[in-house]
Amino acid sequence: MITTPENKNKRSSINSNNPMPKYIRRSILALSIDDPILEKKSFDSWADAIILDFSKKSHCNWQQDILSRMPSAIAIAAKGDAEIFIRINNDFAISELEATVFPGIAGIILKGAHSAADIQRVSSALDSLELSRGILANSIEIDIEVNNAACTWNLLEIARSSARVGIFLLNEQELCANLGIQTQASLPFDPLEYIKSELITVATSIGGQAVGMSYPLSLATDSIDAETLRKGILRARDTGFKGAVCPHPDWINLCNSGFRPSEEEANYYVKVIEVFAEGIKRGMASVPIDGKMIDVPVDLRAKVYLEWAKRAKARDTEKYQAHQKP
Amino acid sequence: MKKILHHRRSWMIVPAHDPKLADTIAQYKPDVVVLDLEYSVAPKYKEQARANLVKTVSTIATDDIEIFVRIDKASRWADVDAAMHRGLTGIIFCGVDEESEITEIDALINTKEKERGIDPGHIELVIILESAKGFWNLSEILQASPRLSAVGVGRIDLTMQLGPVPQHEFRLFRYLMTRTLVAGKMHGKQLLGAMWRPDSRGGVANQESTKLAAQQAKLMGYTGCICATPEQVNPMNLGFLS
Repeated sequence: MITTPENKNKRSSINSNNPMPKYIRRSILALSIDDPILEKKSFDSWADAIILDFSKKSHCNWQQDILSRMPSAIAIAAKGDAEIFIRINNDFAISELEATVFPGIAGIILKGAHSAADIQRVSSALDSLELSRGILANSIEIDIEVNNAACTWNLLEIARSSARVGIFLLNEQELCANLGIQTQASLPFDPLEYIKSELITVATSIGGQAVGMSYPLSLATDSIDAETLRKGILRARDTGFKGAVCPHPDWINLCNSGFRPSEEEANYYVKVIEVFAEGIKRGMASVPIDGKMIDVPVDLRAKVYLEWAKRAKARDTEKYQAHQKP
Repeated sequence: MKKILHHRRSWMIVPAHDPKLADTIAQYKPDVVVLDLEYSVAPKYKEQARANLVKTVSTIATDDIEIFVRIDKASRWADVDAAMHRGLTGIIFCGVDEESEITEIDALINTKEKERGIDPGHIELVIILESAKGFWNLSEILQASPRLSAVGVGRIDLTMQLGPVPQHEFRLFRYLMTRTLVAGKMHGKQLLGAMWRPDSRGGVANQESTKLAAQQAKLMGYTGCICATPEQVNPMNLGFLS
């Protein structure tokens, strides 16, 4: 099997065992391959990941049309070092995969899946496409866009249906519409609180992660003032989401800085690790810092979160270097 | 489905043996009348309530009123037998735990439809969930019969079974409502329930809090609810108004 240098799934750059989170995908931006300034939008966005959407032209063979344009669109969108994903509609998955899967994509976002069988069907198609198009076997992820009741109900079976399953993206607007929940954020509580809890738990249980936003920003479709967005991202992060699909480019910078431990938190973890290590040397099982007890699990958590902060910083460096290229 | 389900906002419970039930229906005008053979009928009146059903249904049935009978799980065979007459829209079955209970009641309804000249498949089945087991088996239960048209959440029984102190916040409630919503929507059923508050729920809720509970449930994707008292009919209709 040929391994192409264009395969840019960021799993390969992670060297620690079972890193948490598995991927650094804090900001995800959807763009159309029909966009005349796709290159500028993707490059200027600084998004960790870009989802490429496409429309099917009715007056010509849409598959041939997409086939001819998708490879260059992938290359153009990746210039800022974003991971590239293609959004596939479950109802037309096989024909859409044939038209869109090329070297250079990290995965596909499967929208509208209902059951594990849907994922298995897509996974089989990807097996063949990887073989025929010179892509490393089993390298293309299947990420699940959760937007309907059946997908929500069958989440665990879907998550376990293929080793390709990576992240779950909650499309809150469409899921609310499907469930008959008001899409205006007018409830005093998050109507999807329990669905989000389940989504995050299931995704984590298979070693993946969930992407979403806290209520009511999760129903926002446009720009939000920075302070409100910063608080919403912090809440989403602390709920367990590891990134968000950004409805507006303004969100990206704040998502990149918010879906990770802050500098202040990272400094605190360094202190925790140092003080605990010193305590162990002195024969202690726990040590106090600022009135808090630090023991083994707290030390372990600090190490995991510090690693997360370092990986996020490394990802920023990768993107910065890509942006310096002529 | 014979009717437009979202018009079934208020499901008013009246004891099936109540001699004034026709007056109550005329006064409060619920979307759905639920003739009760369960909690609101004392054991000594059960036989009388069953015996009256054929006459009651034929008396109150009009084009504008849909009539359901809420059966008692413990005596469901006798209750279904007593309820199945022309004019009846459906059966409400509370406390379902598993698929086989639906299959069994569906077969009984089939038989009674044939015996009593009711169009095959005409009688609907509505379930109210009252147990952890029922919640866990929900998807299978909802697929067990094509006559199953709506699913609801029975708050009081759930509170008792799952353990929270009834007069305090029932913290599991929103989770249970959400889980029911997902399964119900997945299988295309009407959702029955309201976002009751701990100090104002079911039979003790006043009109204002009933309306609020219905409004919040509507925003959550629910479209109707059982009314424990006739006074809840109007606020329920207003709260679930499209």
